[in-house]
Amino acid sequence: MKNMLRSLLPALLLPALAAAQEQQLQTVITPAFSPVTWERLVDAKNEPENWLMYSGTLDSQRHSLLDQINTENVSELEMKWAYQIPVIDRAETVPLVVDGIMFITEAPSNVTAVDARTGRVYWRYDHELPEDLRICCGRNNRGVAILGETLFMSTLDAHLVAIDARTGNLLWNTEVAPHASGYSKTAAPLIVKDLVVTGIAGGEFGIRGFIDAYDPETGELVWRTHTIPGPGEFGNDTWSGDSWATGGSATWITGSYDAELNQIYWGTGNPGPDWNGDVRLGDNLYSDSVLSLNGDTGEIEWYFQFTPHDVHDYDAIQIPILADIEFGGEMRNTMLWANRNGFFYTLDRATGEFLLGDTYASVTWASGLDPSGRPIRVPGMAPTYEGIMVSPPIVGATNWYSPAFNPDTGLFYVTSFDGEQEFFKRDEDYEEGERYTGGGGRYTQPMDAFHSSIRAIDPATVEIVWEFPIMPRSSAGITTTAGGLLFSGSADGYFFALDAATGEELWNVSLSRRVHAAPMTWSVDGEQFVTIASGNVVFTFGLRN
Amino acid sequence: MSRLSGVFCRRMAGCTALGLAILLTPATLAEDAGNLYNTAVDVRMGERYFERQCSRCHGFDATGNDETGAPDLTGRLTRGSTDVAIFNIIRDGIPGTAMLPVAADVPDPQVWQVVAYLDSLRYDPGSVVLAGNAEAGGELFWNGSDCADCHMVNGRGSRSGPDLSRVGENRTPDDLLADMVNPQENVAPRWWRLRVTGPDGVSREGYRMNEDSFSLRIMDDGENLWSIPKDGLQSYERIEDSTMPSYAQTLSESELDDLVAYLFSLRREEI
Repeated sequence: MKNMLRSLLPALLLPALAAAQEQQLQTVITPAFSPVTWERLVDAKNEPENWLMYSGTLDSQRHSLLDQINTENVSELEMKWAYQIPVIDRAETVPLVVDGIMFITEAPSNVTAVDARTGRVYWRYDHELPEDLRICCGRNNRGVAILGETLFMSTLDAHLVAIDARTGNLLWNTEVAPHASGYSKTAAPLIVKDLVVTGIAGGEFGIRGFIDAYDPETGELVWRTHTIPGPGEFGNDTWSGDSWATGGSATWITGSYDAELNQIYWGTGNPGPDWNGDVRLGDNLYSDSVLSLNGDTGEIEWYFQFTPHDVHDYDAIQIPILADIEFGGEMRNTMLWANRNGFFYTLDRATGEFLLGDTYASVTWASGLDPSGRPIRVPGMAPTYEGIMVSPPIVGATNWYSPAFNPDTGLFYVTSFDGEQEFFKRDEDYEEGERYTGGGGRYTQPMDAFHSSIRAIDPATVEIVWEFPIMPRSSAGITTTAGGLLFSGSADGYFFALDAATGEELWNVSLSRRVHAAPMTWSVDGEQFVTIASGNVVFTFGLRN
Repeated sequence: MSRLSGVFCRRMAGCTALGLAILLTPATLAEDAGNLYNTAVDVRMGERYFERQCSRCHGFDATGNDETGAPDLTGRLTRGSTDVAIFNIIRDGIPGTAMLPVAADVPDPQVWQVVAYLDSLRYDPGSVVLAGNAEAGGELFWNGSDCADCHMVNGRGSRSGPDLSRVGENRTPDDLLADMVNPQENVAPRWWRLRVTGPDGVSREGYRMNEDSFSLRIMDDGENLWSIPKDGLQSYERIEDSTMPSYAQTLSESELDDLVAYLFSLRREEI
């Protein structure tokens, strides 16, 4: 009997084996990858199965219409796969997903395409870097942009590269600025119609910032808009002497675009040297500002400067969130901005008019905003040679990490930090390619004495509707979904979900290493997933089958 | 030499005559020759370079940064204790970490100045003249006081305070005295106390071994380890004081001096 069973067993198992093999084969079939047209990018909100750009959509709301994972079942999330980035460094990547293929950027300046369902690699592009990089804050890359079948990526040597999305082959490689002079690039570019729009980093090296647009076919520069006006241009007189030439105002995070207004919105970084303003008297336009640029020509249509003559490194390197909200009894086209300087702003994005602003975190350097939105400075808060305690600290009340806006709740969500730091001033001469910061800062208490919060802010009143404390300081971005969820992470390696309406904790998982990126969500074959980078690993979660 | 010194002098334009004289020192740097750039001017130039290039990660006062993982450079260095080893780390970086090499065009003398600055943050413990007697301090620590009721040294003692086996490496004699007479200053978060009541109504209190957004871990007074989710806690209290009493009144000045001498001797290598 036993023998008979043994002989029968293979035959009995054959159909099951064949089915399993077929299923296995199905998971390795190349997904139907279709070119990403400009029309698809404009309408990205309505193909929520894909995550087509760094902030999800051109308005950068980071809100997905997917609702399969929701407040009722989020506790059933489980890990589906993990992808280990081979180069050890902290991952700041927000992957894209296009028709079942995920594009993950890696430190220092590489990109990998994987099967989004399994995390298995199709191809990897290794960018060759010179040895004399000038980078302030780690070997980071935050993501790619896609148009057609081409990926566009910033590299640490201040190049912009175009890569074939099907093979990883390099199509072109354009030097944006000379890296040896202190320029570098870390942010995902933004596609605007038939242009690749991209910023520059190097605000700690005395660069002169700009926003560029490149031809996606050839890599040729189409326009460049400097974020510091040159001699004879409006605003150049807001820099004493020749300080404009080395004044920083970098543009190291991705901007947003309004297709109806044809305006590109982009934040600018600190004036340089960061902590010594004596050598650059004046308001230092357009540092620490948001610029509205014409979507075809790059010409400045309006600007709003959050922190005139900044001496605390309060970059306006945040993602501009574009949202239509009810304000003063009427619907307004607004831009919502929680700034590193501790103030939240609601602006009219057609004109740049300041509508509303107030603090959303602890602030000691300014006592409020005047009717035009200009900060009212507290005297004696500039850095000194001996050191002076100021809040927010250098890392800011928030920083580059992505906020989100959920149209269902009408709330703006931001990772905020209540901390303080001693600021120092130093005298430094500019030398090309050398750091040019004019000081620094130090904490006088352990980090555990402070904590971060996710704050949900009503943009029509700047009221904090709820907050969820996170310890220690967090540098994770936020994504919300139509499932009523808010996803984010923490510095001590949690990935978690909150109820977007109430802030109630619904689910968390310990991934062990720092979350220094923003989550994104997508679906394949009708099944929703959510992806986050933690430490050096990209994790993908889905519902238990 | 000519190319290096050219770059170096350009960078150092405006430096003092003394500094220039040092620059003319031949830059033939044998691996074991030690640091030729360690005058007061070198230290100051090294400090300037450090503040500009290194402080972003290591902190403006070189005491490190928990967030970046950059270590405290003011005590014993774990990856290299000699000048040459420190020079090589600054010059070449540490592969696989955020410690990048300095730019290739930074001349060696400038790196040596940073080494000199880092050296200036430390001192030769053998040169320190102490008022107390380490042997008497050891006797007091183990047999004449309650120190060992809380602290451990080389596996002996108790668990209710910091392990002092190497405390001499990172604390100066002044620090050690301050620790004993004023223990409430700068209590490390590891030695804060947490008092929580769980969903079951049971209260637990202990040393804060670790805490994050969603959970905490404590060691209670019975030395039991507890890992407790924050979700559902009925109460939560954090006490940022030290449980260590001040010994300013209970020990004499000479006894404190002896204890300082003993604690200062606790290190990997004998002075």
